[in-house]
Amino acid sequence: MTVPPRWRVLVANRGEIALRIMRACRDEGLETVAVYSDADRHAPFVRAADQAIRIGPPAPADSYLRIDALLAAAAESGADAVHPGYGFLSERAAFAQAVADAGLSFVGPSAAAIAAMGDKTSARRLMAAAGVPIVPGSADTLSDSDAAAAIAAGIGFPVLVKAVAGGGGKGMRVVRHPRELGAALTAASREAVKAFGDGRVYLEKYIERPRHVEIQILADHQRTIHVGERECSIQRRHQKLVEEAPSVAVTPALRERMGAAAIAAARAVGYRGAGTCEFLLGADGEFYFLEMNTRIQVEHPVTEAVYGVDLVREQLRIARGMPMSIPDGPVTPRGWAIECRITSEDPANGLLPSAGTITWIRAPAGPGVRWESGVESGSEVTLFYDSMLAKLIVHAADRPRAIDVMQRALAELVLVGVATNIPFHRRLLADLDFATGAIDIQFLERRADLLLPADDDATTTRLAIVAALLAEERRVSRRTGSPPVSTGDLNVARSAWRDTARRDALR
Amino acid sequence: MKYFVTIGGRTVIVELDGEIVRVDGCQVAAQLEHTPGTPEIRIAIDGVATTVAVDARDRTLWRLVDRGSVREVVVEDERTRQIRLLAGAGKAVDGHAVVKAPMPGLVLRLLVAVGDEVTAGMPLLALEAMKMENELKAIGSGRVTGVLVRAGQAVEKGQKLLELGPLGPAIPLA
Repeated sequence: MTVPPRWRVLVANRGEIALRIMRACRDEGLETVAVYSDADRHAPFVRAADQAIRIGPPAPADSYLRIDALLAAAAESGADAVHPGYGFLSERAAFAQAVADAGLSFVGPSAAAIAAMGDKTSARRLMAAAGVPIVPGSADTLSDSDAAAAIAAGIGFPVLVKAVAGGGGKGMRVVRHPRELGAALTAASREAVKAFGDGRVYLEKYIERPRHVEIQILADHQRTIHVGERECSIQRRHQKLVEEAPSVAVTPALRERMGAAAIAAARAVGYRGAGTCEFLLGADGEFYFLEMNTRIQVEHPVTEAVYGVDLVREQLRIARGMPMSIPDGPVTPRGWAIECRITSEDPANGLLPSAGTITWIRAPAGPGVRWESGVESGSEVTLFYDSMLAKLIVHAADRPRAIDVMQRALAELVLVGVATNIPFHRRLLADLDFATGAIDIQFLERRADLLLPADDDATTTRLAIVAALLAEERRVSRRTGSPPVSTGDLNVARSAWRDTARRDALR
Repeated sequence: MKYFVTIGGRTVIVELDGEIVRVDGCQVAAQLEHTPGTPEIRIAIDGVATTVAVDARDRTLWRLVDRGSVREVVVEDERTRQIRLLAGAGKAVDGHAVVKAPMPGLVLRLLVAVGDEVTAGMPLLALEAMKMENELKAIGSGRVTGVLVRAGQAVEKGQKLLELGPLGPAIPLA
């Protein structure tokens, strides 16, 4: 085999994933090119790169989404390849095509594969033809209630009546018994007319308490394999917040069935590289294809932890025409991994994104802890980009221990300057239902309490003491003319209160 | 020294008497230690230590980050609290408000005149009391309708100092 050339990889992304990709490039002995908007000039990922090129103003439409600017940066830097990361242009077939047309390698699947999976309706048809299970339903809109009854009987109850033009739960009805079907159709249709001006409805199998379980795929020019599942049922408004691998609901036998289905899905579109097939997993162990993400996933580190692989390095190997480094044969997860997405969402303000300067971060460390961050002390958090600041990933021998390690790591984490969802993670990990793994994609709808700030008297008292001691310290330092103890900035003098406390201890 | 600490609507009284810390009357052992070069504070209360970070603060409002939670904390000593309560006594300002002296003292300076428009937090008058200079501030927006004292005048506790009224309707341009 010929030695692949030393590549220069342009990372068409920002934040933690850009840094993650650059680290993988370094580990593979490849050069890196960062592209950045004006808002990211001082970001850690820019400093991590061998070259850095400005591509425009902060708004994504003026920078990270501009194919022309990215290709110009690639030409200017002499890049050989483009890694799209996740989000932004990563799943735009036109971008993959433009990169290829410019004579560069795209670290990802072909434009054709992206396009085939990008159109969700045609992807479902394609998957059905490939034998991948999809949620059973009426292909067309329903003409009358007799036809609906026949289709519902074929699907099996409970069924879900859904508006063709639907969204946000409007025009949607769960029907558990045949005799309720007629009324549900009428009601859903009427609601759909009101909400969308379109009363057409169709039927789909209703999956009780489904989990979101996805299968990681890797495909080089010879083999297509799966690297097990991740469970991502802890979601809020379709945004994943916590992911884990493996899933409590997946047995080795089910893993092989889901893995085989995901491999079939990838093969059906001639997939190359790393990708993810998302499934709904019902309480009955039946699973249904949702979509395929044709890129690296945010939550890829939990798979890396339990399978001992580096998915981004494998992406780079495959893109260079090398075989993946994972040996042939079945893969088995080792231990348990959990990821918490740390977002700048303020629990005290309806979980709206918060902005500001991060004045201080103390990242957690120690056994089994991985910190993937796009920010550091001094970073500015703007509202231009995704609210995810960092990912905290832990790995331990089993799930209870992984939960313990995550609790420990969250306790070590100090982030000052913007409000974050750290308190939510702490409450979730302490929750009994979460501990038993009794989760599904509606978990956070039922447990909205976990998202809200919770207060106890002990905390209030503790903080009151802190505040009073700080105020007293300031008063004393003012009176004595000694330099003020300013904990707000980073030049901290000795605690005036400490001396008192020391005397206290001696008593 | 007695501090009134308000967090999330609850007010806790913390008394610091030499080496003794009392919280709502109960004595506790508290030890506070800064971490140089960081905003982190180690606080040990009755032998249990945790880390709290100090984010931003002004005269009375502190922002503490506790186990990932950003908590806004208002700390007032007795004098500040009294001033606020008394100054805030004539809350209105949407209607009418009277600013009274929170304590006996000497008017040092008048910072507003009749007809002036004021907004919340704007200093109105400087009062010397207990050898300390205090600025009385507006608690809302309005217009000064009356000045009842002059600079250099000694005032009694509760004496009326200023009168505030609502802002009149905007004068139409055409």
